[in-house]
Amino acid sequence: MPLLEIKNLNVRFGDATAVPVVDGLSLSVEKGEVMAIVGESGSGKSVTMMALMGLIDHPGVITADSLNFDGHELLKLNNRQRRKIIGKDLAMVFQDPMTALNPSYTVGFQIEEVLRQHLNLSGRAARQRALELLQKVEIPGAASRLNAYPHQLSGGMSQRVAIAMAIAGEPKLLIADEPTTALDVTIQAQIMDLLLSLQKEQDMALVLITHDLAVVAETAQRVCVMYAGQAVEVGQVPGLFNVPAHPYSEALLAAIPEHSMGAERLATLPGMVPGRYDRPQGCLLSPRCPYVQENCRTQRPGLDPKAHSLARCFYPLNQEVA
Amino acid sequence: MSVVLTARDLTRHYEVSRGLFKGHALVRALNGVSFELEAGKTLAVVGESGCGKSTLARALTLIEEPSSGSLKIAGQEVNGATKEQRKQLRKDVQMVFQSPYASLNPRQKIGDQLGEPLLINTNLSAKERREKVQAMMAQVGLRPEHYQRYPHMFSGGQRQRIALARAMMLQPKVLVADEPTSALDVSIQAQVLNLFMDLQQEFNTAYVFISHNLSVVRHVADTVLVMYLGRPAEMGPKEEIYNRPLHPYTQALLSATPTIHPDPLKPKIKIVGELPNPLDPPSGCAFHKRCPYATERCATDEPALRLVDNRQVACHYAEQFVAA
Repeated sequence: MPLLEIKNLNVRFGDATAVPVVDGLSLSVEKGEVMAIVGESGSGKSVTMMALMGLIDHPGVITADSLNFDGHELLKLNNRQRRKIIGKDLAMVFQDPMTALNPSYTVGFQIEEVLRQHLNLSGRAARQRALELLQKVEIPGAASRLNAYPHQLSGGMSQRVAIAMAIAGEPKLLIADEPTTALDVTIQAQIMDLLLSLQKEQDMALVLITHDLAVVAETAQRVCVMYAGQAVEVGQVPGLFNVPAHPYSEALLAAIPEHSMGAERLATLPGMVPGRYDRPQGCLLSPRCPYVQENCRTQRPGLDPKAHSLARCFYPLNQEVA
Repeated sequence: MSVVLTARDLTRHYEVSRGLFKGHALVRALNGVSFELEAGKTLAVVGESGCGKSTLARALTLIEEPSSGSLKIAGQEVNGATKEQRKQLRKDVQMVFQSPYASLNPRQKIGDQLGEPLLINTNLSAKERREKVQAMMAQVGLRPEHYQRYPHMFSGGQRQRIALARAMMLQPKVLVADEPTSALDVSIQAQVLNLFMDLQQEFNTAYVFISHNLSVVRHVADTVLVMYLGRPAEMGPKEEIYNRPLHPYTQALLSATPTIHPDPLKPKIKIVGELPNPLDPPSGCAFHKRCPYATERCATDEPALRLVDNRQVACHYAEQFVAA
C-alpha cells in the first residue's frame, strides 16, 4: 500500500461545464520516496497538491475515486479530523517564504504554534524543541533567531524557518511547492540539500512541485510530467530524461538552453497551452504536437504503460528496449 | 567591429539614512565596472540578488547618473552631455524589463504603445508610424489584429514580445535586458530567446543581458561578467568562463546550477552562508567569508581585477586554478 494514492482526481472551478483544472489524475507516492511533479504554469501541479491539503475553496469542486493518505480517505474526513493530519503527517512548504510566514509573530512563536497544536508541547519544552528545529534546518545563531520577526530574515532564512515549521510534526509526506523558485542559485542549492538530507534522515516522502527540470534531474527518484491538467508521463529519473516517451516531455527537455548546447536556436513547441475555449477533443497536445496523426485529433489517449514509463500517447517515442 | 558601449570604472553609490541621529551610510551598489561592447555582440551580467546587476542596467540606460566613472554610448560621452545629446543617447539605448505584466501600460492599446517611441523621437506621419509598427509586430510574431488590443489580452510570452518590439522600434544600438525571461515558462522562454537572437542578427544590436540563470546566459552570451557585491569577480569570453572558471565564486555558481544530466562523480562545491550586508561589506576580498579557499591574505587585501588566462579575474590565487 503506497503512502499516498490518488485515483482519478478531478478539480474544477465552477459547475460541471467548467474545464477541469486537474483532469483524471492518478498518482501514487511510496514511503520515503522523492517524487517530482513538473509542468508549466497552469498545468495543475499546484492545484493537485492544494486539493490534497484541503486548500481549495468555493467554487472549486474536488472529485476523486480515491484520495488515500496513510490509510485515511482524505475526502471523507470532516474538518476536525482533517486538521489532525494536515500540518502533522502531511505538511507543505510554499513557494514564497516572505508571504508564507506571519509578519506579526516571531519565528519562535510560529514554530511553537505547530508544536502546541499537534504535539501537545508547551512552555519550556516547546521552546526547546523549536530551538532544536531551527538548528536542524541549519540556521546560524538559532537561539537568537527564535525572537526574530520574519522581516528580519533573508529569503533563504525564511524558507528554512518555513521548512522547520513543516517538519515540526515529523510528517510522513512533505509537499514542497516550488520551494526554491524565489531564491538565488547558491541558496537554492543549500535549500535542496537541506530538504534531501531531512528526507533521508526522517525517511519521509517528498513531493517536489517545480517547473525546473534540472532540479528534478538532480533530486527526484520518479517524476510526473503534467500538461493542461493531465499527467502525460510518469517515469523514473533519469530514465525519463534519457528516453522520454511523450512528445511533450521531449519538447520540454529540448526547450532548455542547456540541452541545445552550441545551437543557434532553441527547439520550441509552437502555440500555447489550450485554454477554456480551445480545449481539443482528442489528445490535449495534438494541436502543438510535431508527430500528430489523424486519430490523435479525435480520441484521447489513456495513461498506459510503455517501454520505460507510463505515457499518455498513441505513438510514444523511444520505445526500443535496450 | 565597432565598439558601441564603453564603461570605465563605472560606480554608483547610494546614501542610506540610518535614522535621525546617525550619519548616512554608504551602499556601494556598483563599484568599478569596466567593459567594452561591440555591435552585434552580447555581454551577459550574472550574479545573485544584490550584486549590482540592476544598478548597472539603470546606469547604462541613463535612468540614473553614475557616481563616478565614464560611460560612452556610440562614441558619445554621457557625462556632461547636453540635453539634446542626451535625447539622442536615450534613442540609442533601450531596455526590456523583467516583468512584462508591469512594464506595459494597461490602458493603452498595443499599437499606440509601440508607436509612442516614434511619435516622440521622429517626425513620421501617423500613417508611416502605423506601417512601421505593423512591420515590427510581424517581425516579433504578433498578428496584425493585435494592434487594437490591450495588454491584459496577452499571455506573458506575448507581452514580452511586445516589450521587445517596443524597445526595438527606434533600432537602438544597445539593448539592455534585465532578466527578460525569468518570469516565463521554459517553452515560452525558448521562444522569446530565439526572438532575441533573431532580432540581434537582423539589426546588429549590442545586448547587455542581465540574468541569474547560467544556462540561459550560456546560450546567449559572447562575453560574461560575473558580479559579486557590486564588484566584477570575473569577466571574459563565454567559453573560457564556462570551461574553466577561475574565480571561486564563478566556480561555486556554476557548480550550484542544477543540470539535466548530473554527473554523480563530480563533487559539488558547497558555499556556505549568504550574501553579506552591503552596508557593512567584509574587509579584503568581498567573497572571503564564503570562499572555500580563503586565506589570511584574502581577509585584508582586496584583490584587483587582472588578466589571467585570457580573462579578467579578481582573485589572489587565480593562477593556481589555471593549473588545477
